[in-house]
Amino acid sequence: MTGRRGAACVMAAGAMVVSMATSEPIAAQGGGAGRVAGVVTLTASAAAPSPASAYSRRSVGANARALPEARSVVVYFADIVALADLKAMRTEVAQRDEQFVPHVVAVTAGSTVEFPNQDLFFHNVFSLSRSATFDLGRYPSGSSRSRLFPKPGIVKIYCHIHSQMSAVVRVFEHPWFTIPDEGGAFVIDGVPPGEHTLVAWHERIGERRDRVLIRSGATSNVTFTLPVLEPGS
Amino acid sequence: MGGGTRRTPPRLVTRALVASFLTVALVLGAVFGVLSVTVRDRVRQTVADNLASAQQVFTGVEARRQREMHATVATLAENPTLKAALDTWLTERKGASAATLEQLLATVQREANKIADRVSADVLAVTDHDDRIVASAGRFAAEWPRGGALAGVSGPGGRAVVMGQGLYQVVSVPLLLEDATIGSLHLGTALDARYARELAALSRGQAAIIRNGIVLASTLDAPVSAALSALGDGPIGAQVVQLANESWALQPLSQIDDVRFVALASIDAAARGQTAAAMVNLAWIGLGGVSLAMLGSIWLARTLTTPINDLSQSMTDMAAAERVGDPLQPSGSSRELDQLTETFNSLMRSVAAAEAEAEATYLGAVRALAAALDARDPYTAGHSERVSALSVAIGHELALDADAMETLRLGALLHDVGKIGVPDEVLRKPGALTAAEFDAIKAHPSAGARILRSIPFLAPHIPIVELHHERMDGRGYPYGLMGDSIPPAARIVHVADAFDAMTSARAYRPGRLPGEAIAELRRCAGTDFDGEAVEALVAALPRLAGAPPPLDPAVFQWAPRSRVSA
Repeated sequence: MTGRRGAACVMAAGAMVVSMATSEPIAAQGGGAGRVAGVVTLTASAAAPSPASAYSRRSVGANARALPEARSVVVYFADIVALADLKAMRTEVAQRDEQFVPHVVAVTAGSTVEFPNQDLFFHNVFSLSRSATFDLGRYPSGSSRSRLFPKPGIVKIYCHIHSQMSAVVRVFEHPWFTIPDEGGAFVIDGVPPGEHTLVAWHERIGERRDRVLIRSGATSNVTFTLPVLEPGS
Repeated sequence: MGGGTRRTPPRLVTRALVASFLTVALVLGAVFGVLSVTVRDRVRQTVADNLASAQQVFTGVEARRQREMHATVATLAENPTLKAALDTWLTERKGASAATLEQLLATVQREANKIADRVSADVLAVTDHDDRIVASAGRFAAEWPRGGALAGVSGPGGRAVVMGQGLYQVVSVPLLLEDATIGSLHLGTALDARYARELAALSRGQAAIIRNGIVLASTLDAPVSAALSALGDGPIGAQVVQLANESWALQPLSQIDDVRFVALASIDAAARGQTAAAMVNLAWIGLGGVSLAMLGSIWLARTLTTPINDLSQSMTDMAAAERVGDPLQPSGSSRELDQLTETFNSLMRSVAAAEAEAEATYLGAVRALAAALDARDPYTAGHSERVSALSVAIGHELALDADAMETLRLGALLHDVGKIGVPDEVLRKPGALTAAEFDAIKAHPSAGARILRSIPFLAPHIPIVELHHERMDGRGYPYGLMGDSIPPAARIVHVADAFDAMTSARAYRPGRLPGEAIAELRRCAGTDFDGEAVEALVAALPRLAGAPPPLDPAVFQWAPRSRVSA
């Protein structure tokens, strides 16, 4: 049922936080970095089983498209400590057709995310999350606001005008994370050799963890199958 | 009648009143009896029909209410702050500090309170994926504590759930973010006495909410409710059940799982109301009926009693006056009474005829007696008839009325009836009479009066018989009355008697001529005779049969009047 899946998701999130807090930092070794590649397979839809909202999906216009669910997965190493000179990134989450596009972004701590409004009407961007509580206010079509995310964590983004809109910004204290392509394939380069925990995380479906041995100059292959629960159970 | 005390029979009016009152009362009683039976039957049907239609109304209203509640809750579920706070709390609840989480929960709670206030919800709850309560608001929020499980409630549509002590009907909608369900919003209606009252208002009767056969809430009185619980799960369909000694129509309204909603209406109470209403109408009708019947009775009794009273009064008058001659006039009020009057009249005619016959018989006997007495002396034969004829002639001259004339005629005829007590030798004695003999003669008026007194209808004639020898100067006999104290009829007969005596022959003398007799009468007028009567005789004489003054007694054989001859 939805509830149990949700609980599993929450527990997984909790476990992840715990693992991040307790894992022994692994010093990144200069040179000789390895690489991990793999595929994330989704076996259950993350959509609600029977949406009964008074509002049907307010997809404005025909160009609204459902994003491939694999793009909502974040693959990252859970137990590698941050480098001293973590490089800040700059990315953007657009508001388009009453959706945040993309739905999930992952950035390094200290990165800035732009929130351009590409719709013809007002949007709002706010978050109640612990690591970044903010409200960018309402702003009109064509304008943009940005936000710095200095602390690692999961930041959930909403629009105060359109209650069904949501996005997730994952902020890491290391650069070894990625979002799979539409087919679920992913590659993470420059990973320090050693045995690490690789996590495939989905906002609602939950996460899968796998121990991965990274050898210098070699590519390790990992296959993740989400969700945790079988469909229909 | 046969008993010791004879009761006075009731008046006709009383009888009529009692009869009419009893009749109306009987009819009203019967009508009431029939009415209460038919009213009860009809009420049973009406009550059942009302409940059945109430059930249809309820079904429609309830479906609509469910849709509207669902729409309302779905709209309320589109609350960005609520969703954001809930979703963030769900994401962070395991890792964040208590203070941060409490802040998120407070946001959820505040939004829930706002929504609950807006819709006046009995209870409004926000749950997570596991249907564990995150926040609740409304009157019954205390029964819905945070962390409590809302077992079995999920997805759209209403369901009944037990929370704490209460039973609730719940409409739930998912809280969605980008098509993903993050939790649910539940709007609960307490299935309590207040809801039962709403049901009752809809069903226009009573309502009860039953779970597993036990009445959870109802608008019924405690004993009836207990009786309904005692029935258990038995009654399912529409039917009539006995609760606390009364008949109740029971109609299922709807059912959610093991919770049933039923409408009830007391047939007995409705029948009582209807009967009471009918009774009031009946009482008015009865009052009107009794009044009309009483007026009718009084009128009827009067149409009967008034003529009967009149008739009875007429008879009483008739009896008092001893007159039977005048027939009663028919009252015209009813054929029977007129017939009674007619019968009475004919009876009276018979009585009158019989009386006349008896009178005639008496009269005939007395005349025969008088004639017989006259015949004792050949010289006085026919004397009484002649005196009668002369007296009538005088009376006619004096213009006496018919009654007086009749009295005069008979009195004159009988005037010498007392001579029966005078011996023949005295009567026929040719010479002068001795004093004793004269006394015997003088006794005849009194003797005549005595004889007539024994015959009641001859009473008017007695003065003539008794006083026809009184003189105007008071020297007559038997009493020596004077002048006007002598009845006129007696005075007339005195004159007629003297005239006939003088003109009639006697054994010892011939009869005088009428002229001589008149001269003698005139001479003694004022002393012996009444002058008026004498002059009347003088005036009447020429008309008497138009003949010369009669010397022969046959001249005075007048044809007797019919009454006498009958």
